[in-house]
Amino acid sequence: MSPFESTRRGFLSDLGLGFGSIAAASMLQQDATATIPSQIQQLAPKAKSVIWLFMIGGTSHMESFDPKPALTKYAGMTIEETPFKPVLSSPYLENERVVAIDPNNGFIRNELYPLQMSYRRWGESGLEISDWWPHVARQADDLCLVRSVWTEDSNHGAQLQFHTGRHRVDGFFPTIGSWVNYGLGSLNENLPEFVVMGTPVADCCGGVEAHRANYLGPQYDGVPLNIDPANPLPYAKPPKGVYREEQIGEFDLLRRLNGITAEQYPDDDAIRARIRSYELAFRMQMAVPEIVRFDDETQQTHTQYGIDEDETRSFGQQMLAARRLVERGVRFVQVYHGSNGGAGQWDAHKGLKASHTKLCRQVDQPIGALLADLKQRGLLDETLVVWASEFGRTPGSQHSNGRDHHPYGFTVWMAGGGIKGGLAHGATDEIGFHAVEDRHYVTDIHATLLHQLGLNPRELAIPGRKRLEKEFGNPIHEVIV
Amino acid sequence: MRVYRAFFGVLIATSSAYGADVDYARDIKPLLREKCAACHGALKQEAGLRLDAAKLIRQGGDGGEAIKPGDAAKSPLFHRVVAEDPDERMPPEGDGERLNPEQLQLLREWIDNGAIASADEVIPTDPAEHWAYQSPVRAALPLADNADWQANPVDTFIAEQHEGAGVSPVAVADRHTLVRRLYFDLIGLPPSRDQIDRFVNDDSSSAYANLVDELLDSPLYGERWGRHWMDVWRYSDWNGYKNQLRGSQRHIWRWRDWIIESINDDKGYDQMVTEMLAGDEIAPDDLNVLRATGFLARNYHTSNRNIWLDATVEHTAKAFLGMTINCARCHDHKFDPIAQTEYYAMRAVFEPHNVRTERVPGQPNVMNDGVPRVFDAEPDSKTFLYVGGNEKYFDKESPVFAALPAVFSEPLDVKPVTLPPIAVFPALWPHIEAEDIHRAEQQVATVKKQLAESRKKDADKSDSIAVAELKLDSAQANLNSLRARWAADKAKYVSSASNVLENLNRAAANAERNAELLKARFDLADTKGRLAVAEASRETDAAKKKAAIDTAKKAVEAAKKQLADAQANAKKENATYTSVGKAYPRTSTGRRLALARWIVNSKNPLTARVAVNHIWLRHFGEPLVSNTFDFGLRSPRPKHADLLDWLAVELVEHQWSMKHIHRLLLTSRTWQLRSSADSVLQTANTKIDPDNRLYWRANVRRLDAEVIRDSVLHVAGSLDLKQGGADIDYANGETVSRRSVYFRHAYEKQMTMLVLFDAAGPNECYRRSKSIIPQQALALANSTLSLSESRKLAQALWAEVKDGADAELRFVQLAFKQVLARSATSTETETCRGFLNRQAAILASPGSLTEFGGKTASTVEASGDPILRAKENLIHVLMNHNDFVTIR
Repeated sequence: MSPFESTRRGFLSDLGLGFGSIAAASMLQQDATATIPSQIQQLAPKAKSVIWLFMIGGTSHMESFDPKPALTKYAGMTIEETPFKPVLSSPYLENERVVAIDPNNGFIRNELYPLQMSYRRWGESGLEISDWWPHVARQADDLCLVRSVWTEDSNHGAQLQFHTGRHRVDGFFPTIGSWVNYGLGSLNENLPEFVVMGTPVADCCGGVEAHRANYLGPQYDGVPLNIDPANPLPYAKPPKGVYREEQIGEFDLLRRLNGITAEQYPDDDAIRARIRSYELAFRMQMAVPEIVRFDDETQQTHTQYGIDEDETRSFGQQMLAARRLVERGVRFVQVYHGSNGGAGQWDAHKGLKASHTKLCRQVDQPIGALLADLKQRGLLDETLVVWASEFGRTPGSQHSNGRDHHPYGFTVWMAGGGIKGGLAHGATDEIGFHAVEDRHYVTDIHATLLHQLGLNPRELAIPGRKRLEKEFGNPIHEVIV
Repeated sequence: MRVYRAFFGVLIATSSAYGADVDYARDIKPLLREKCAACHGALKQEAGLRLDAAKLIRQGGDGGEAIKPGDAAKSPLFHRVVAEDPDERMPPEGDGERLNPEQLQLLREWIDNGAIASADEVIPTDPAEHWAYQSPVRAALPLADNADWQANPVDTFIAEQHEGAGVSPVAVADRHTLVRRLYFDLIGLPPSRDQIDRFVNDDSSSAYANLVDELLDSPLYGERWGRHWMDVWRYSDWNGYKNQLRGSQRHIWRWRDWIIESINDDKGYDQMVTEMLAGDEIAPDDLNVLRATGFLARNYHTSNRNIWLDATVEHTAKAFLGMTINCARCHDHKFDPIAQTEYYAMRAVFEPHNVRTERVPGQPNVMNDGVPRVFDAEPDSKTFLYVGGNEKYFDKESPVFAALPAVFSEPLDVKPVTLPPIAVFPALWPHIEAEDIHRAEQQVATVKKQLAESRKKDADKSDSIAVAELKLDSAQANLNSLRARWAADKAKYVSSASNVLENLNRAAANAERNAELLKARFDLADTKGRLAVAEASRETDAAKKKAAIDTAKKAVEAAKKQLADAQANAKKENATYTSVGKAYPRTSTGRRLALARWIVNSKNPLTARVAVNHIWLRHFGEPLVSNTFDFGLRSPRPKHADLLDWLAVELVEHQWSMKHIHRLLLTSRTWQLRSSADSVLQTANTKIDPDNRLYWRANVRRLDAEVIRDSVLHVAGSLDLKQGGADIDYANGETVSRRSVYFRHAYEKQMTMLVLFDAAGPNECYRRSKSIIPQQALALANSTLSLSESRKLAQALWAEVKDGADAELRFVQLAFKQVLARSATSTETETCRGFLNRQAAILASPGSLTEFGGKTASTVEASGDPILRAKENLIHVLMNHNDFVTIR
C-alpha cells in the first residue's frame, strides 16, 4: 500500500496551487506545524524533543558533577597505597575493550591527583556541582545527574560508541538521533527532524557516523546546520544572482510538468514522493535560514545566552538555535562541542585546570541559559536535554597536571522531558573510579529518552539487521517522574 | 521526511497472543527457533535434542523426554528455561536472552494444553542440503505458449511464471524509452539527440542487437559497470587524518583502473576473481595484474590487524560467495553450517599477507605514485581462534590451519608458489635501476658543472675549488658504489656462480666503503668551509653569531668522527654491502590462489549464482535472490531459482563472460517491457503480483548518484570523457567535469552531491539505497553545477534554433529531447511556452526582484537578456524534472 494512496486525489486537485502561493503561505505561517504520524505506536509520550549536548574529548566527571574529596585527601599517593586499592582488581576492568594499544594514553594512572575545582551545593535539592558550572548549577533542581555511566572503549572511539551503543571496531550503526528520527513523526513540515550543530566528531573517533543513520538510510541522517543565515545547510541557497521570484517560477513549472507526468503514470509512487520532496525542499530553504537569524530575539536573550561575548558566542548561538528548533517541533537536536580534528579539546591529558576552565566558560553560560529559557517558556516539560561526554577522566594524574581517559565510571545528566530534577542517581566509588551503584551502560541513556518520547526501544529494529542486547539498553525508571 | 520510510523496510511487528489461545506455529515455533534452534536444531543437536519441530520435541534427546505433554511443571524443557541457576538455565549465558514472563507463559500453556501441533509440520532438513550449496544445473527451458516469449531463454522462464500465476505481461516499450534505458544501463549516460534518431530510425531487424553490441564495446561501459563492481568489491580511496594513512592504500585508483579496463576487455569473471585474490601468485612479475590485488590491499587498517583481516574474510565471502561467514567470528554461525573454527580457517588463508607499494616508471617516491599490492610477508604466521571473538583470549598451543568450511566437502588445495626474482627483490625492475643510476649520473654531471664554474669564478680561492673537487670525487664514488652494488644484487637474485658472486660482493663492498670515505672527506671540508664563513660573518648580534659558530663547530666535529669511522671501515676487506633495495620472501604460501581456484571452480555452487544475481539486479532494479550477500539458510530458494541457475551455468560455460550475460538479459523481451500498464491490466496483475516479482513489467528505477551528476554535465556537452588516472579531489566535483567514478571516494572524503543521492558507502555496499529526500531536490536546484550547465545548454540550443522558423517552439522541443531524451507532449509544450513568457516578464524588471543572497558563484553567468534567461530557467527545470533522474 502506497503511503500516498490517500493523498493522491488531494494532490492532483492541488496542482493548480502554484509555488507562489506555497511560498506566501510558508512565509506567513513560518511556524505552522503539521503532524505526520509515525507507523510506530507511541506510548503516552512525556517529551516531544531532545537536545543532545556532547562534549568531545572526555570531560572530567570528578571536577564537574561527581565530587570526590578523597582525591584531594590522598593526593600524591598511589592507588595501591590507599584504602581504595581493590578498584584495581575489580571485575569491571574487564569491560574495557582495547583496539590498539596507544602508548600515550588509555591507561590507569596510579598516582591520585587532587581535585582542581571547588564544589558547592545548589538549589533546594542541594546537588553538589563544581564551580566550573555555575550557570548550569543554578538549574540544579531541574537536573538529574546520572553518576554511574560506563562504556567499553578507553580511547576516543567511545565518542561513536556513545551514539550507537556499539564499539568502534564493530563498525557503524544507526545513532540515537536517527532512531528517534525513524521512530517519531514530524511535527513541522518545513524542517528536518534531526538537526546537528557544531563541528562533528573527527574521523579518528567515528566522524560523521556519530550522527548518521547507517542502515536506516540517509533520510534519517542528522542534517548539519551552520549558524550562518546565508549558508545554513548544503545547497540551502542557489548561487549568487538568482532571484526568489525566478526560483518560484521554476518550481511552479516543475510542479506542473511533474504533475503532467504523474497523471500519465498513476501507479508510480516515486514521482509523488519526489514532488513532495521538492515542496519540502522549497520550504526548508525559507524555514532553515530563519532558524539561525536571531533578529526577533530580544537583547536580553542575546545577553543571557552569551552571544555578546567572544568566549560564549559560538555555543550560545547554537543553544539559542536549539531552542528555536525544538520550539518549531524538531525532534532531535545534536550539538557537538570541542572538536579539534582529533581526539577533542576536552581531552585533558595535561593542563586540565587551564583547559577545563576555558572550555567550561564556553559552554556553561549558554547551557544554563538554554535550560532557564526553556523553562520560562514552558518548553522544558516537553524537551529532554542531555549533557554527555564519551567518558570521564582518571582519578590519577598524567603528565603531572592532567588526567587520562576513564571509561569505568562517569557522569551524564538529563533535564526536563519528564525526568526528575534535583536528583543524583547512581554513584562511583570514593575516588570516582568505578560506577558502583545503579550502573548504566551508555544505551540506558538512549532507552530512557526513547521511553520519554513514547517509543519502545525494542520495536526499533529492521528485518535482517540484528541489534545486540546492549544496543537497546534499559530505561532508568528511577529517574522518571 | 519520514513519509518516505515505506520504501525502505517494514517494521517487525511484535504482536503476541498473550491471553489468547496458544498456537504452535504462531507462538511457539518462532520462539524456540529464536532461542534454541541454533544448538538444538538441524544445524546442531546438542544433547541429541532438537527443538525445531514439534515431533522432535516430543521425541526428546539423549537425556530422555524434553516435555511431558499436558504437564509443563513436569517437563524438563520448561524447568531449564525458568531455572534461576545460570548454570542450569537455557539459553546459556551469552547465547541469548532468557525468556520473558510472557514467553514463558505461552510455553507453559502450550505444554499444559498437550503440546499440540499440526501433523504435517515439515521437519527442517540437513543444512548441507540447502539449495544454494548444490552446484547449479541447467534446467530444461520451459516451453512458453506465447511465441513472443520463446526466442530468448530468459523469457521462457519468465513466461512460465507469468502463465503459472495468471499475470499478463505488458507490451514492449517504445523505441525512445528503450534507447534511453539501454544507454543508462550500459554506459551510464543518456543518448544524444543524434544517437536517439539513429536508433529510432533504424528499421533493420538487427538495430536493437547492434546497439547493445555497440554500447558493450564502448569504453564508457567499463566505467559504468566498473562502478557497480566497485560497490560490491568495496572500492575506497585512501583515508586518514591529514597525511597519515589510516585505511585502504594510496594510489588504490590503480585497482580502479584495472577494474574498468578488465570489464571493458570482458576479462572472465573467474580470471578477475583470481587476479584480485592472488594476482601476486599467478603473475608476480606483471604490474598490470598486481593492480588487481588492490581488492585485498584496500582492507588495510592502520590501528589493528584483526580489523583488517576480519574485513578481508567477511567481504571476500560476501562479495564472491554470498556467505556471511563473519557471523561465525565469535561463535558458531546461528543459521548456516559454519563453525567458529571455520571462520578462523578462512582467516588463516589471509594471515600471511601484507601490503607493499611497487615503484612505477618515472616516480621514485611511492608517496607520490606507485602500485599498492599484496604479498605473503609472513608465511609462517599462525592463526588462533579468538574465544568469543575476543582477541585477548586464545590458545597459543592450538593454531588453526587454512581450510574451507566442511559443508563444501572440498579440500583447500594449497601449493606453495616459488616467486621470480623480480617479486623477491623489486629493485630488479629495469626502470628502477635505470632511474636510480641515472639520478646518480646526473648528480655527477651537476657537480662537474659546479666545479667548472668554481674554477672560473673562484680561481683565487683554492679552498672552494678543493671542496668542489672533493664533492665531485664523492659523487663519482657514489655512482660507482651504486653500480657495483646493483651488479652484486642482480647476481644474487638472478642465480650466478658462487665465485662470481663472491667477487661482485667484494667489489660492491669496496666501492661502498670508498664512497663512504670520499663522502666523509667532502663533508669535513664542506663543514670546515661553513665554519669559516660563520666566523667571518658580519653578524652584529654576538649571541646569534656565537650560536651559528657553535652549530658549525658541532658539524665539523661530527664530520671528523664520520671520517675517522670511514677510514677505519675502509681498512676492512669483507664482502658485506648495503643492498640497493628491500628483499621479500622467495615463496608465497599459495593459500590465496587455492581459495581463488576453489571459488572460480565451475562446480562451486555459489560463485556464479552470486555474480549473475548482481548483474540481474543492476539491469532489472531488483535481484533474483533478495539478499545479494547472503545465500545462506536465511535465503530460501528464490521464486526464479531455475532462471538463476540457468544463467549461472551459462556464465560459467561462456568463459565467465559478463558481456555475454548482459547481451542475453538485454535482448530478452522481459527487459524490454514497458514500465507501466494500462489501468485494466494494472488492476488485474496487481491483485496477483503487486510487487512485480514476476516481472510482468519493467521496474521504474532512479539513476545512481554518479549517473545523475555525469548526466547533468553530459547533456550540456561538458563531460570530459578522459579515462583513468589518479583520484580527483572530491571538493572539485562541481568544477572539474570528469566522470564521477574518478573522484576520491573514501571515508570522510566524498562529494556531498553524490552522498545525497545514495552513493555507495565506501565501507560496504552490496546494494544501493534509492531514497527520495528534500536535500536531493536542493542539490539539483541550488548547485552551481546544475545552474551553470543549464545556462550553457540553453545558450547552445538557442543558438541552434534562433534563426529558424518557430524558434521558441523548436527550443522547447529540442530541450526535452536533449535533457529527457523524449519529445514533449503538446500539453507540456504549451505549459513551457506559457512559462517562458511569464518568466521573461518577471525577469524583465530586475529592480522589483529579490535576490536570494547566496554566496557561491556559478561558473556560467546568467544571460542579461530576460528572454534568454527564461530559457535557461526552463533547462534548469528539466534537469530537476522527475524524469531526468528516472529510468522508465
